[in-house]
Amino acid sequence: MTAVRPARAVAGRALADSRVRTGSFALLLALIAYANAVGYRHSYPTLKGRLEFARSFGANKTVQLFYGIPHDLLSVGGYTAWRLAGFGSLLAGAWGLLVAVRALRAEEDAGRQELVAAGSISRCSAYVAVLAAIAADTAILWLATFLGLLATRLPAGGSAYLALATISPVPVFAGIGAVASQVAPNRRLAVELATAALVLAFLVRVIADTSNGLGWLRWATPLGWVEQLRAFAGPDPAVLALFALAGTLLLAAAGAISVRRDVGSGLVRGRDSAPPRLRLLSSPTALALRGERGTLTGWLLGTGLFALIIGVLSTSFTAANIPADLRKQLHKLGGASITTPAGALGFYFLLFVLAISLFSCSQVSAARHEEAEQQLETLLALPVSRLGWLGGRLLLSAAAAAAIALTAGASAWAGAASQHAGVSFFRLLEAGANCLPVALLFLAVGALAYALVPRASAGIAYGLVSIAFVWQLLGALLGAPHWLLDLTPFQHVGFVPAQPFRTTAAVVMLTLAVGAALAALLAFKRRDLAAA
Amino acid sequence: MYGYLGPNGAGKTTTIRLLLGLHRPTAGLAELFGVDAWRNPVDAHRRAAYVAGEPFLWPALTSAETFAYLARLHGSVDTAYRDVLVERFQLDTAKRVRALSKGNRQKVQLVAAFATRAELLILDEPTSGLDPLMELAFRETVLEAKQRDQTVFLSSHILSEVEALCDRVGILRKGRLVDEGTLAELRHLSAQTIEVTFAGVAPRLEALPGVKVASAGASVLRFEVTGSVAPLLAALAHQAVVALTSREPSLEEIFLHHYDGSDGRAPG
Repeated sequence: MTAVRPARAVAGRALADSRVRTGSFALLLALIAYANAVGYRHSYPTLKGRLEFARSFGANKTVQLFYGIPHDLLSVGGYTAWRLAGFGSLLAGAWGLLVAVRALRAEEDAGRQELVAAGSISRCSAYVAVLAAIAADTAILWLATFLGLLATRLPAGGSAYLALATISPVPVFAGIGAVASQVAPNRRLAVELATAALVLAFLVRVIADTSNGLGWLRWATPLGWVEQLRAFAGPDPAVLALFALAGTLLLAAAGAISVRRDVGSGLVRGRDSAPPRLRLLSSPTALALRGERGTLTGWLLGTGLFALIIGVLSTSFTAANIPADLRKQLHKLGGASITTPAGALGFYFLLFVLAISLFSCSQVSAARHEEAEQQLETLLALPVSRLGWLGGRLLLSAAAAAAIALTAGASAWAGAASQHAGVSFFRLLEAGANCLPVALLFLAVGALAYALVPRASAGIAYGLVSIAFVWQLLGALLGAPHWLLDLTPFQHVGFVPAQPFRTTAAVVMLTLAVGAALAALLAFKRRDLAAA
Repeated sequence: MYGYLGPNGAGKTTTIRLLLGLHRPTAGLAELFGVDAWRNPVDAHRRAAYVAGEPFLWPALTSAETFAYLARLHGSVDTAYRDVLVERFQLDTAKRVRALSKGNRQKVQLVAAFATRAELLILDEPTSGLDPLMELAFRETVLEAKQRDQTVFLSSHILSEVEALCDRVGILRKGRLVDEGTLAELRHLSAQTIEVTFAGVAPRLEALPGVKVASAGASVLRFEVTGSVAPLLAALAHQAVVALTSREPSLEEIFLHHYDGSDGRAPG
C-alpha cells in the first residue's frame, strides 16, 4: 500500500479544478497591465501632455469613481498603478470571492465535501488544503501581472510591488467568500452575499474618493487600502499588513465555523417547508423567471444605482479643463466629446454595454446549469419541446437584458436631471437601448456555443466578451488597423446620447444575433443531452 | 406489464432515453404509440409518464409546487388519485425538494407520474431508495395501473420485483436483448432443476439428451433438464429412488444463466 497524503490530494484536486479559470484570469490581468502601460506611453509621450492629462482627466470625479485617486500621473508607472490597482483590484476581489465559494460551498453543494470529510483527513486539514490551493492560484495571478508589467519595461521592483497591490484584496475577499460559504446553505446565496460585500466595499471607496472631507473612509474598505499602497508613487508597504490581518481573521473565522457545523448545511438554514406558491409554474420559462427573480432584482438595483451616480457626476467635465490634446486622444477611443454631460454619459454607457453582455453570459450559464443538474432531462421527458425550452429561455434573457438596459437609461436620466445636465429622458432611454444589440449578439453566440459544446459554453461566452472588450480598448490605444478593430462588436457601439444611435450597425448585429439564435435552436434540437 | 432486466451498464437507461427521444438513435428509430420519439417528442410524451432512476427535481420547490408544475407541463392529472397516492406514500408536500432524502424525492416522482393516469408508464429503477414498506405501496400502485389497462415498462435489476409484477420480461446484456418472453416461456427455455435422493449410493447414469448433472453428493444427484423430463424419468424408473423434487427455474436462475455463461448466447 502506498502512503498518500490526503491533504495534498485535496489541494491538488482544488488546483486542478480551478486551472482554466485561474489561467484565463491571469491572462486577463496581464493584458490589462500591459495595455495600460503601453497605451499611456504611446498616447502621452511628452511631459506637457501628461501634465494636461493629470490636470483634467485625472482630476475628474467620474474617472476617479472607477479608478480611485491618482497619486502620480506624470510617469508611466504612476499612471499604470492608478488604473491597474484601481480597477484590477476590483476584479481580483471578485475573483477571490468566487474562487473561495467555488472551492468551499460549491463542493459541498455537489455532495463531494461529504466524501472528503469521510476520508482520513480532518475537516481542518481539508480546509487548510483548499486555502493552500487558493494561495497557489493567487501566486499565479501575481506572477502573470508582474510579467505583464515587466514586458512594458517598467522597473522590476516597482512592478513586483504593483502586481502585489493589484492582487492584495484577494485574501480579504477570499475570506469573505469563505465566511459566506459557511453562512449560506447553498452556492448561489453564498455568491450573492459575498458580492454584496464587494459592492459595498466599492461604494465606500467611491464615496471616499469623490466626496470632500470623507477621504478617511478609505481606511474602511479593502479597496481603499489598495489606493494607500501607492505603487510607483511613494509606496507604503506597511498597509499590506492590513490585508494580511483582515484576510487571516476572516479565513480563520470561516475555518472555525466550518469545523463546528454540520457538513451540507449553512449557519443560516433556509426554511425546509413552505406553503405552496403556485405563481410562475405554468411553463419552464415561467419557472426560470421564478428562479432568477432574486438575481434579476440585484442586477436592476445595481445598474440603477450605478447609472444614477454616473448621471449625477455627468456634469463634472467642463470644456475649460479638457485640453485639445486630450480630446484628440479620447477621440481615438470612440470619438465623442467628453466635455458635455451627454458625452460623459455616452462614454460611461460603454460600461453598461459590457455589464449587460456579461449578464447575457450568466444567462447562458444558467441554461447550462439546468442541463448539467439534469432537471432538463426530467422536463424533456414530459410533453415539453426542446425549441420551446431554449427559445423561451432566450426570450426571457433578452427581455431581462432590455429591462436592465432601460433601467440604466432611466436612472442615468434621474441623476443627470438632478444636476440640470440638459439631456433628455428619451435620449437616455436610447442610450440604454443602445447596449442591447451587442448584449443580444453575445447572448445568441453564447446560446450557439451552448448548443454545440454544452460543457464549455459558459467559459466560451465569458471568454468572448472579455476578449472583445479588452481588444477594443487595447486595439484602439495601440492604433491597430481598422479591419482588426471592426471584429469586436464593442467597436460598433455609438456613444449615445452624444452621438446618434448607429442604426446600420445595430441592424447588422441583431440580424447576426437572430441567425446565431436560430442556429443554436436547430443544433440543440439535434444533440444528446449532456449531464455535468 | 413489461420487465426490462439487465445488470448495471447493460443499456437499460439508454433504451429508455431513446424511447423518450432524449438521445438520437444512430440507426433506426424509436416510436411511442407510432410517433417517432426523436422527431416528435412532444406528441410522443403526451400519453406517457416517466420516472427517472435518479430524481432530478427543482430543489427550491416544495413537493406540492413540484406536483403543480409537472401536472401543468404534462397536461393531465387526476388530483383525487394524487391525494390518495400522497397519503399512501406518506409524503409531506410542504417540504422543499432540497430537504428530502433520495427515497422521498423518488416518491415525489412516482406520485407525479402515476397521478397523470398516462397510458404508458416508463419506470427506470423506480424503487431505488425506497424502504420495504414503500416498495409494497409501489407494487400496489403498479397493480392498480395494470387493472386500469395502463401499460407499465419497468426497468430494474431487482428480480423479485419483476417476477412479482411483470407479465413479459426482456433480458438485456451489453446492449443486446438476449432473451424475451413471458415468464412461462423463459422458464420453458431454461433448464429446470430436479433433485433425486437414492437409497444408498447414487448410481452412475448414462448420458441422456438434454440432461446435465449439476452436482453430485454421496446419495443425491441434482440434474438440470432442458426440454422434456421423460428420458430422465425412464432412466430413473429402475433405480431405488427415495425422493424426487422438481423446481422451476427462478428468474434469478434464468438471469444468471444469461450472464454466467461465457458465450452469453440466447438459448433457442
